Order: sequence, then structure tokens, then C-alpha cells
Amino acid sequence: MGAYRHFPVFMVTVPLVCAVLLPFLGYLRQKWVPWAAMLPLAFSSVLGLLLIGKIPAEGYLGYELGGWPPPWGIELRVDRVGHFLMLIVCGITLLALAFSRRYISREVSGGRLTAYYVLFLLMSGAMLGFVATGDVFNLFVFMEILALSSYALVAITGNRNAVRAAFKYVLMGAPSSIMVLLAIGFIYSATGTLNMADLTLRIADSRYSEVLIVAYILFVIGFGVKAALFPLHMWLPDAHSIAPSPISALLSGLLVEVSTFAIFRITFSVFSMGSSGLFASTLDAVGIFAAAAVLYGGIMAILQKDLKMMIAYSTVSHIGYIFLGITAMTAEGLTGAMYHMLDHGLAKACLFLCAGNFIFVKGYRRIEDLKGAWRQMPWTCFAFALASISVVAIPPTAGFISKWYLILGNIKGGNYAYVVVLLVGAILAAVYCFRIIYYMFFQPGKEGAWEGESRDAAPSMLAPVWVLSLGTLFFGILSYLLIPSLLDAMNFLL
Amino acid sequence: MRLFHNYHYIASMLLFCIGLYTVIVRRNIIKKLIGLNIMETSVFLFLISLGYLDGGIAPIGIGGADPSRMVNPLPQALILTGIVVAVSVTALALALVILLYRQYGTLDVDRLFRDEETGGEEGEEKGETA
Repeated sequence: MGAYRHFPVFMVTVPLVCAVLLPFLGYLRQKWVPWAAMLPLAFSSVLGLLLIGKIPAEGYLGYELGGWPPPWGIELRVDRVGHFLMLIVCGITLLALAFSRRYISREVSGGRLTAYYVLFLLMSGAMLGFVATGDVFNLFVFMEILALSSYALVAITGNRNAVRAAFKYVLMGAPSSIMVLLAIGFIYSATGTLNMADLTLRIADSRYSEVLIVAYILFVIGFGVKAALFPLHMWLPDAHSIAPSPISALLSGLLVEVSTFAIFRITFSVFSMGSSGLFASTLDAVGIFAAAAVLYGGIMAILQKDLKMMIAYSTVSHIGYIFLGITAMTAEGLTGAMYHMLDHGLAKACLFLCAGNFIFVKGYRRIEDLKGAWRQMPWTCFAFALASISVVAIPPTAGFISKWYLILGNIKGGNYAYVVVLLVGAILAAVYCFRIIYYMFFQPGKEGAWEGESRDAAPSMLAPVWVLSLGTLFFGILSYLLIPSLLDAMNFLL
Repeated sequence: MRLFHNYHYIASMLLFCIGLYTVIVRRNIIKKLIGLNIMETSVFLFLISLGYLDGGIAPIGIGGADPSRMVNPLPQALILTGIVVAVSVTALALALVILLYRQYGTLDVDRLFRDEETGGEEGEEKGETA
């Protein structure tokens, strides 16, 4: 027993409570708000780092909220995989927030500026809670906080396209949330419990397998919309490309991933797969959609003319990768899926923030406008190139490691068709990424496009971008630090 | 007879389908939001009927009340939370509708998203997502 037992609950509640207190500070001293917003996230990150190696031998750290023991009370349950994802969430939100300070003051002003930081903290805290919770209904509540704050953040600039993209997101997101609630109702009616650990036991010997399969399908559809799995991805390209760039980084780098993680958890922790044929065929269907997502996202990304649209479609493609790792049902595949969440989070956040730099400094959104960009913005361009290399999965980067394990997992699972899909996906990624690198470094710029004041983005905007892009390199070279413990955790789950 | 006995489940699923149909098919965005609310209500009805007991009493364990006659309080607690969430979603969506109407002058989704292909700042790239 130590103080670290209480860390998970503080990691979740401190950002949420601070989000509520922030408007008061905004009323008194608006200038301090961006700095004050960083404190709770830094606090959560420190707690998360202190928790490394402290997850007990039984595989998870449980916390009884309010002192009520698990089957009755709400439980937070941080296992190794959840802790890993919580650290990713803390790191990327902190960097995106640091990036926001300068960037967002140009896009929104006045009271909306405070609202931006309040929503940002709500979203971060909700993501941490979403990953940490061990209770299905609590999962729904955190999902709704997350969804509501992200709807509002997409629309925060208030211009026509942003409002329309946010409304499209609401129209798809809100019904999907209701489906998740209905699924929770179904499993509650079949088992009489909401605690995930308790559910695992009761589902194993439940008589109501028809109700449970419907509940599982509803969960997959509900979280599938949030995770933008292929046929349900329509909201993503608009919302991700029109939102302010730090928010795009959060939506693309974290939100879709924690939603994928929710499906992962429902599949392996709640329904403890492999028992029934119907569950397996549902997962097979998910695999087919995921393979379609890899190809569709890649092809659409190649066709885009707008930089942020291209990155958004690339996200659709990469969500497919993560799902292919989950549906492989092998420890290697799941490890690859988890590592891909890390790599994709870092690389996509980096790409969106780089796009933000181009928009902030020059106002350029179109890919054609980036011709010859490195002359004026070398730092941004090199960070963009490094993150692109990770997206394409070229050796020293984390993208290579995760894709290696995804392919390994699919070979072990005997899904050779998906191996081909993963390789074709990498080729498509190479096409859309190298086109931009070629434009940036080897094409002459248009007449007058990069003249005038020759200046890269400010250091406070370059630092987060570089931390993220070096992160992809770091976790690629030092992957042996994380992979064994992830493999252990996955073997434990299966 | 068992089917008739569970008529509240049938009613809630019917409402769910009506709501989903309205959200998907109707072109007017206010009607879509009404459909959304019907969906929410149907799920609430489903959950609340799980805890219903004919002639049940409030689940307060004072004075030796018979526990077997108490209604299940958990679905009620869930629905209370669910209603708060539903109200927030509706409020946010209506705020967005007001902004949309001010800027586009229409509540028709087809006209709202047709504009995507013809005009707007980055119109032509998004044709296929409409």
C-alpha cells in the first residue's frame, strides 16, 4: 500500500475540477488562463510517470470510488495497457495545449478563449477517465463528456464551415452514444451488473446470449462511430480538417484511439472473446471493414488537395490498422495495435500541428502551396518529414515497429489477406506522404509564395512539434523498453 | 402471452426505430433533433422498465420494509444521469442549429450540404463527403 494507489483518481479528477474553476480565473485574469490550464495536465502527467512500474503483480490497480467495494460501487481500474494509454493522453494533450497558447489567440478571442481552455481540460480529463474506468456506465458518462466537449471545440471558431462540420459530427455522434447506452441497458438486463470485472464472470455463464450479442454489436457500432471505423467515418474528415489545429491533433491523435481502446476493452475485458461463434463472426466483419478502411483512407488521402483533409483521411486509414491488430486475436497483433496507438498519436498530432504552423505563419492550407516551403520554414518541414516517415513505417521510427507487430500478428492468426492489405496501406501512405515531402523540399515555390519576411514559426509552436516528431524516432529505437511488457499484458488478456 | 407481457420492451424498441428513422431520413434538422430525443427517450423507457415492479415501494430500507417489494433504484440513477446528458446534447445541438440558420438561412440538410460542393472557401474538395 502506498500513496500511488490514489494516483489514478487524481489523474482523472484534477483536470475536470480545474476545468470548472478556470472560468473564474478567466474572469479575473484572462492572461493567466493558458498557463493555468497547463498545471492540472502537468500534474496528471507527473502522477502518470510516477505510476510507472507500480502496477501490482495481479495486473491492475483498482480504486474504489467513495469506498464502495467494486461490484456495487464505481471502480477505476488501471491495467498496464490502460496506464500506457493514459501516459500517451497526458503527453499529447500537454503538448497540444502548449501549442495552443499562441495559435488559438488568433482564431478565437474574448470569452471564447477561456471557453476553449475549459473545454480542452474537460476533454483531456474525460479521456483519462474513459481509459481508466472499470465500470460500463461510467464509461458512457466519460464518453459523453468527451463527445460534448469535442463537438463544441470543433465549432469554437464559429465560422460557417466549422459550425457545419460540428453539426455533422453531432448528427453522427449523438445517435451512436444512444446506441452505447442501449447496449449498456441490454447487458444490465441480462446480467444485473455494470462492473467490467463482474460482467466478465457473469457473461461467461449467462443464459441470454442473444441479448448479449445484440449488445456487443451495438457497442461496436456506437464506439465505431466515435472511432471513425470505415463506413461510419463520414464525420471525421470535415471535423478534423476544419477544427483548429491543436484540436485536430487531439481528435485525430487521441479521441479516435481511446474510442478504439473502448472497443478493445469491451471485446477482451467484458465479453472475454473466443467463447461463442457469433462474437467471432462480428469481429470478422469488423476486420473486413477495417481492411476496407485502410485502402479507402489511403486512396482518399492521395486524392486530397487540402493538407489537413489529407491528414484526416490518413487517420481513417490508420484506424483500420489498429482494428486489424485487434481482430487478429493474437498477442503480437494486439501489441501492434497498442503500439500503433502510441505511434499514430505522436505522428498525427505532429502532422496536424505542423499544418497548424503553415496556417499560422502563411495561411496556406493547400498542398500545392507548400512547394518550396523548406526555404522559409525548415524546422517545421523537417519535423513534418520525420513524422511522415513514421506514418509510412520506415525502419528507425515507431511506425515501423507497430506495423511489424501488426503484420506478425496477422501472419500468426493466419489472415494472409490482411497482411497484403497492411502492406498495400503502407505503399499508399508512402504515396501521399512523399508527395508532400517532394513538394516541400525539391520543388521550386510559386512566384512570391515564400518571399517577404523569412521566418519559421515561434519557438513555443516549434517545440511541441519537435518533441512529437522526435518521440516517433525515440519510441522506434527504444521500442524494446515497452514491447516485452505489452506482450506480457496481452498474453495475460487472451 | 410472454410477448404481450413484455410490451414495454416492444414499445421502447419501436420508439428507438422511429427515432433512428427520423434522424436518418428527415431533411429538416430540427426534426432530426426531435428524432434524436425520441431515441433517447426510448432507451430511458427501456432502462426504467427494467427496475419496475408492480406495486413496488421506494427502495428505502428504514422501518423493516420488505426488500423483495422494492423497485430497483439503479436504473433510476442511470436514467437521471442519462437525462442530464441528453439535455446537454440537445442544448448544444440547438445552439449549433441557431448558428447554422444565421449563417446559411436554411434548416434543410440537403441545401446545407449542397453548398459544400459549389461554394465555400474549400468547397470543391469535399464533394464526396456530403
